[in-house]
Amino acid sequence: MKPMLDRRDFLRGTSSGFGSLALAMMLQEEGYADGTVKVLHHPPKAKRVVQLFMGGAASHIDLWDHKPMLEKHHGEKSDFGEHVEAFQNGLGPWMKSPFPFKPYGQSGKMLSDVVAPLGECVDDMTFIHNLVGKTGVHSQATYLQATGFQRPGFPGMGSWVSYALGSINENLPTFVVLPDHRGFASNGPKNWGSAFLPASSQGTAIFPQRSNPIEDLTPQADFATAEGDRAGLKLLSKFNGQFQRERPGDSRLEARVRSYELAAKMQLSAPEALDISGEPEHIMKMYGLDRAGAKYPDTINAAEEEEYFGRKCLIARRLLERGVRFVQIWSGNDNSFPRRNWDSHENIERDHGPLARGMAVGTAALLKDLKQSGMLDETIVLWTTEFGRMPSTQGSKGRDHNPYVFTNWLCGGGVRGGMTHGESDQWGYKPLDRANPTQVYDIHATILHLMGLDHKRLTVRHDGIDRRLTDVHGHVLREIIA
Amino acid sequence: MSKTELIKLKILLPRTHAVSGLIRGLGLALGQFAGLSTLGRSRSIMLSMLLVLIATPFPRLFAEVDFVRGVAPILQRRCLSCHNDKESKGDFSLQTAESAKEDGYVVAGDAMASHLLEVISGGAGKPRMPKNSDPLEEEQVELIRKWIDEGANWPADFKITESRVSDFNWWSYQAIRRPVVPKLQSDWVRTPIDAFVLRKLNEKDLVVAHQADRRTLIRRVTYDLIGLPPTPQQVQDFVHDSAPQAYERLVDRLLESKHYGERWARHWLDVVKYADTCGYDKDKLRPNAWPYRDYVIRSFNEDKSFSRFVQEQIAGDVLFPGNPDGVLALGFIAAGPWDFIGHVEVPESKLDGKVARNLDRDDMVSGALNTFCSITVQCARCHNHKFDPITQDQYYGLQSIFSAVDRAERPYDLDPDVEKRRDALEIVIAEQQKQLDAISSEIEKAGGERLLDLRKEIKGLEERVSFKKSPEFGYHSSTVKRNDLQKWVEIDLKDSVNAAQIILHACHDEFGGIGAGFGFPVRFQVAVDSGQGDMEIVHDRLQADVENPGLEPIVIDLSGRNIRRVRVTATKLAHRKNDYIFALGEVRVLDVEGKNHAKGKPVTSLDSIEAPERWARRNLTDGEWPHYQDLDAAKSLDVAKRKLAKLNREIETPQRMRDRASANKKLVAARSELAKLPTGKMVYAAATHFKSQGNFHATEGKLRPVHILHRGEISQQRAVASPGMLPLGQGLSWQIDAATTEGERRATLANWLTDERHPLVWRSIVNRMWQYHFGRGIVATPNDFGRMGAVPTHPDLLDWLAVEFRDGGDWLKPQSMKDLHRLMVISSVYRQSSAGPSSNGLVDESNQYLWRMARRRLAAEEIRDSILHVSGSMDQTMGGPGFYLFKLERTQHSPHYEYHKFDPHDPKSHRRSIYRFIVRSQPDPWMTTLDCADSSQSTPKRNETLTSLQALSLLNSRFNLVMAEKFAARVAQEHDSLQQQVHQAIQLLLQRDPKDSEVEAFSAYAQEHGMNNLCRFLFNLSEFIYID
Repeated sequence: MKPMLDRRDFLRGTSSGFGSLALAMMLQEEGYADGTVKVLHHPPKAKRVVQLFMGGAASHIDLWDHKPMLEKHHGEKSDFGEHVEAFQNGLGPWMKSPFPFKPYGQSGKMLSDVVAPLGECVDDMTFIHNLVGKTGVHSQATYLQATGFQRPGFPGMGSWVSYALGSINENLPTFVVLPDHRGFASNGPKNWGSAFLPASSQGTAIFPQRSNPIEDLTPQADFATAEGDRAGLKLLSKFNGQFQRERPGDSRLEARVRSYELAAKMQLSAPEALDISGEPEHIMKMYGLDRAGAKYPDTINAAEEEEYFGRKCLIARRLLERGVRFVQIWSGNDNSFPRRNWDSHENIERDHGPLARGMAVGTAALLKDLKQSGMLDETIVLWTTEFGRMPSTQGSKGRDHNPYVFTNWLCGGGVRGGMTHGESDQWGYKPLDRANPTQVYDIHATILHLMGLDHKRLTVRHDGIDRRLTDVHGHVLREIIA
Repeated sequence: MSKTELIKLKILLPRTHAVSGLIRGLGLALGQFAGLSTLGRSRSIMLSMLLVLIATPFPRLFAEVDFVRGVAPILQRRCLSCHNDKESKGDFSLQTAESAKEDGYVVAGDAMASHLLEVISGGAGKPRMPKNSDPLEEEQVELIRKWIDEGANWPADFKITESRVSDFNWWSYQAIRRPVVPKLQSDWVRTPIDAFVLRKLNEKDLVVAHQADRRTLIRRVTYDLIGLPPTPQQVQDFVHDSAPQAYERLVDRLLESKHYGERWARHWLDVVKYADTCGYDKDKLRPNAWPYRDYVIRSFNEDKSFSRFVQEQIAGDVLFPGNPDGVLALGFIAAGPWDFIGHVEVPESKLDGKVARNLDRDDMVSGALNTFCSITVQCARCHNHKFDPITQDQYYGLQSIFSAVDRAERPYDLDPDVEKRRDALEIVIAEQQKQLDAISSEIEKAGGERLLDLRKEIKGLEERVSFKKSPEFGYHSSTVKRNDLQKWVEIDLKDSVNAAQIILHACHDEFGGIGAGFGFPVRFQVAVDSGQGDMEIVHDRLQADVENPGLEPIVIDLSGRNIRRVRVTATKLAHRKNDYIFALGEVRVLDVEGKNHAKGKPVTSLDSIEAPERWARRNLTDGEWPHYQDLDAAKSLDVAKRKLAKLNREIETPQRMRDRASANKKLVAARSELAKLPTGKMVYAAATHFKSQGNFHATEGKLRPVHILHRGEISQQRAVASPGMLPLGQGLSWQIDAATTEGERRATLANWLTDERHPLVWRSIVNRMWQYHFGRGIVATPNDFGRMGAVPTHPDLLDWLAVEFRDGGDWLKPQSMKDLHRLMVISSVYRQSSAGPSSNGLVDESNQYLWRMARRRLAAEEIRDSILHVSGSMDQTMGGPGFYLFKLERTQHSPHYEYHKFDPHDPKSHRRSIYRFIVRSQPDPWMTTLDCADSSQSTPKRNETLTSLQALSLLNSRFNLVMAEKFAARVAQEHDSLQQQVHQAIQLLLQRDPKDSEVEAFSAYAQEHGMNNLCRFLFNLSEFIYID
C-alpha cells in the first residue's frame, strides 16, 4: 500500500504542471522505467489529441458509411432478419440517405455530400465502420464514449491523458473543452470531469463567445486594476512564502505559492491563445469565418453552423500550437426544442444537413491547417458520437437510435491514412463480422498507445479497484497504426 | 495464510481489473506460491486462492506438465465462464475430465486430434477461442499441447470450479474484541487513544510533538467540529481561560452548537452521493431531496444513536412506522444518480430499461455496503469478487433486497393518523397483490404445459406482428358529449372512377388507453355518388352495434361501380374519455388493378379538430394507416389469444373467480383511498408507491425477479437470486427467506447491519470519524476494508474504539457520535502541534504513526462559509429547500444551470454551503475546483489538490469579488483608520493579532489599491486556507 499513499501524497502537492512527473514516478515505483524510456511505456507517435464529439448520435449511413443497398431498396419494408429492439420502435421501411455520396481522394472513399469538404482529407483518415455500443440511451452512451463506462463517476479520456502526461505548456490548461455554444450535451461537464483523478486533470471549459471565455480568468470588478493585481500577487507571494518557510517540509505550501505564479502566466497566455483577430484572411475563410457580422435566420442553417464550429476548430488549433494536450470539441446540445443536435428522429435532412456541413468545414480546415504546419503527425484527431442511426425510417424522414453499429474516424498522430478498418453490414445495421466488432475500449487503447501509454498499465486505485480508462477490455488496433 | 503473507501477495498483485497486467505480474510469483501452498492449516483455502491468482505458469518444458498447477488455472481463467456444467456453450464443459474428453475436445496423447487445441491455436488467423477476447498466450497453448500429448493426465475427482475467494482470514472479517488499553507511565496519556498511539510511537522510537498553542487549538477544533472560524472574542476568551478544563469546555460548547450537525452532515452526504438533481442526461431537479439532508443534520445534532441512524436509512418505514424520520431517512437509498431516460422513457420490458434498473439496484447495494461495511461488494456484479470472499450469487442476493424499491417522491406526514392509514393501505395493496399472484400461480399450475405453450406462442407472434404507424394518425372529428349525433366525412375523387373496393382503416391512438380502433364508429354507413348527386348506400351498419374492428381493414365490395365521391357517416359515435368522437385512419378506393384512387384527394367533413401532424382531414387519404407488418402473424395471434382466453375460462374455478374479484375490488378500493389521502410533505426517497411517470411505474411492493447475470450482462440471465446478505460474523445469520416481503427484506438487512456481531460496521464508522479528525483513517481506505484496501496502522486502537463506541464504556455512552468526537479531540494526539520533531521524519515521513497533527487545507465549503462569515454576510437560517448558485433556465426539458449568469449579491445564496442546491451533472465550478465531492460517486475522503485554476477562482470569481467588497465594508463600518481596519480583518480571518510589519504592508497596499482589493487578496493567504 505504501507506494500508493506516497503517490497520492505527492499528487496532493502538485500543480497542474506536474502530472508528467506523477506518471514518471509511478512507473519507476513499479519498475517499468528504465534508462532509455524515462516517462512513457513506449516511444510515442503522438503528443496531442483532438476529440470531436457529436452529441445526440450522428448517423453513420448519412455521412461516412455509404450503403448502396439502401438506395436500391429505399421505401421497401425493412427486414433485419431478426427481432430488433429499437429505442422508439423506429423500424419503418429502408431509407436511403437524403444526401448523395461520391468518391474522394486516392482511396476513393465514398463520402456524403454534406461532409464533402473532408473529401480532401480522406487519404489521411482511417474510418472504423464496425464500432458497437452497449446502449441506445443517450446519457449512458455518451458516458461510454467519453469515459469508457456507462455510468457517471469516471474520468474522461482527456483527464486520463492529462493525468498521465501532464502539460506541455504550464501556462495553459492541459485539457480544454469547447462545448456547444447552445448548451451541454447529455451529462454536461461530467463527460470531462476528473472523477477520482486529481482535479488538475479535469477539462477546462472555454466558451469563446462569452465575454469571460474562461471563468475566473480575470476579475470582473470595478475596483480591480492591472497594477493592483500585480502588487497584490507580490504581496501574496511574500506572505505565503513566509508562511511556507515557517513550515518546512510541506511541499503543498510551496506548490501553492507556485500556483499563483502559474495563474498569472495563464492570465496572459490564455487570451492571446483565444484571440483570432490576427489570423490571415485565407485562414479565416478556410474555417468558414469570413462572414463577420452576418445575421442568421432562426431556423437551423449551414452558414451559422460553419461559423460556430469553425471558430472552435480554429481556437483548437491555436491551443494545440501553444501546448494544450487534449482538446475536446462538442457539436450539439441537449435534447431540447427546436432540435440543435444530431438526434434526428424526425428529419435527417433538416438537422444532419446543416450540422454536418458546419462540422465538415471546420474539421477539414483543422486537418489541413495541422497538416501544413506538420503538427498533424503528432496530433490524433478522433471523430466520435454516441451511437449510429437505423437504416430504416422512423416516422417519415428520421431515423431511430442504432447502438448496434456506428462509425468513428481517426486522423494523424501515427494513424494510417486512406483506409477502412472494419465494415458494417450491407444495411449499416450491425457489423459485417458480428463476432469481431470494434469497441470504444479499442479506440481508447489505441489512442493511449499512440501517446506512448499502455492502457493496461495506466491504472489508479479507487475504492479497492485499479481503475483503467479501458476497464477490463481493449485491444490496440495495430492495423490502423502507420 | 498469515497476514504478512497476504500483504506480500497483495503487493505482488497490484491490480484487479487490469487482468492481463496481473497475468504478467504472476509469472514471478508462482515459485513463492508453491512454497506457501504447503502451509497446513489453510491449505484448501490456499489452493482456491491459487486458482484465483495463478494465470501464467512457468512452462516447465523439462518436466511433465502439472495439470493442477499449470493447465487447470488457464482453463479456469480463460474458458470456464462459458464452458462449465451449468453453462456449456457448444455443449462443452471443462469442469471435469469426463466432460472435457467427450466429443474429442481432448484426446489423451494426441494434441493434433484434440479439438480444444484447434480452437485455441487458430493456425493462420485469429484463434476462435476464447471468443471475443484476447487469444491465449503462446506459452499457454504450448503447455496445453504438451499436457495433452503427455496423456492429458487429469487427477481423478479433480474438478475445476469458478474462481472464488472463500478465505475469511483477513483482519476485517475477524470478530471484534475489546483490547486491553496499554498501561503506560506518561503524563502525556490523557485518553486510551493516547495510550495506544504512544505505545506504537515508543515501539518505533518516535517522539511526540509539543502541544499546539491555544490559538491554533481553538482554530483547529472549531473548524473541525462546526466548519466555521471562531470569532476574535471566542479566541480571546479561550486564550485567557485559566480553568483546568478550558479546552474540554470549548469542545462541549462546539458539540452543542447547531452548526455541528451542518458540518458533519456534509461528510456523510459525501459518502452517500447526495445531490439535488438526478444526474445523467437531462439532469432533472429533485426539488424534495433536501428533507433527507435536513434529517442527517438533525440526526447529528440530536446525537442519534448510530444503530438507529443506520436502521432508519435502510428500513425506517418498516422498523419505525409512524415516525417521519423513518421515511425521511430513506433518502439515503435514493441519494445517488438516477437515469431518467432509462426509467421514464424506456419501458422495463426492453433491454435498455432492464440495464437501467440493474444499474440502479447496483447503486443501492453498493451504497449500503460501501457506506456501512466498507466493502467493495460491487466488484461481484460481473464475476465472483477477485479478492474478497463475496460471490456473484451473494451480490445478486443483495440486489434482491432492493428489488421492489425505486427512487421517487413519497409523502411523509407529520399527522400520525394519516401516516398510519397510509401504511395500512399499503399493506392491503401488497396483500391483495400477493393474493392475485397466488391465484395466477395456481392457474399456471392448473394450465400446465398447454398454458405455457400458448403463452410462448403468443410471445413469439407478438414479436412477429410488429405494429407500425406513421405520425399522421388520420381524421378526427370534434368531440361531443353524446353518442347519438351524426358525423360525416367525404372524399372527392375528382373524377369518375371504376371502383372495385372501398377499404376503411381504423386509427390507433394510445389516448385513454384505447389503441387500435380508436374512434371507430359503433354504427355507420358508407355511401357513394357517381357524380350525379345520386348518393347511394353501399355498406349499412346502422341497425346494430359493430364490434370494433381493431386494425382489421373493412373491405366493401363495389364490383366495378363508377363512383366520384365516397361518404362515411357515423350515426353512433365512439367513446373516447368522457366524450364521443368519430375518427378514421384511411379510406382507400381501389380499382381492379389495386390502384388507390383516393390517395391525395380532397376531404371534407362536418367538422374536424385539425391538429396536425396527427389529426387532419388530409391524413384520411395520405396513404398511411396503422397496421401490423405481418398480417398472418396478427391473425394467428388473435386465434392464440382466443384459445388462451378459452383455456383460462376452463381452468378458472368459481372459487378462484370469486377470490380474484374480491382481491381486485379491495385493491382498487385501497388504491383509490390511498390516492385521496392528503399527501402532506414529500421527500425524494426509496419508494414502492408513487405516481407513475411515463414508463416508470411503482412496484407497489411487488418484488421484481432478480437473476444472477452472467458477466453482469442483462441478456444473460441465470438462476433467480436468493435474497441475503454476506456470510460475515460468527453466528450472524445472513440468508433471507425467499417468501419475505420487500419491507421485511430491508428490515432484515438493517438489523444485520447493526448486529453487535457484525465485524465491519463498527470498525467502519469509527474509522471514518477518525479520518475526518486526524486526516487519515486508521485504515487509509475508508470505503474498502477488503484485501485491496489498506491494513490498519493501529489495529488494537481501531478495535478498542469500535467496541467502546458500540457498547459504551468509561469514555462513551453507547453509540454516541458526540462522545466519540469528544474522546478524539480531547486526546493528546489531537492536541499536538502540526510541526513535530524533525528527526521523526526519517522514520515516518508520512506521519502514519501520528507523532504530530496533520496540517489540512480547508474544504471548499469551509472556505466559502468562512468568507461569508468574516465578511458579515452569512445568513444562518437552517434547513429547507436548497438555494441556487446558478440561474435556472429551460426546466421543461433539460434544465440549464447557468452559473455564469448568477449574481452573488443575491442574499438568498448567503447561507451555509450545506444548504446549496447541488447539481449532479453540472456541479458548481468554484466548488469543484476546490475539490468538492463529486456526487456521482461515493467520496469517503476529499482529494486535496493545488492548481493554478484554484488560484484564479479564489482571486477572481465573482463570489470572491463581491465578498471582498462586503468584507471591506464591514471593517470600514467598525473602524475609521486603515490600520485598524487591517487589524480587524486579520483578526477575523486568521484568528490572531497581526504583526506590525503585516499591518504596515497591508495598509500600504490598501492605501494605494483600496481595501476591496486588499480583502480580495487576504482571502488567498495560505494561513487562511490551511489549518495547523
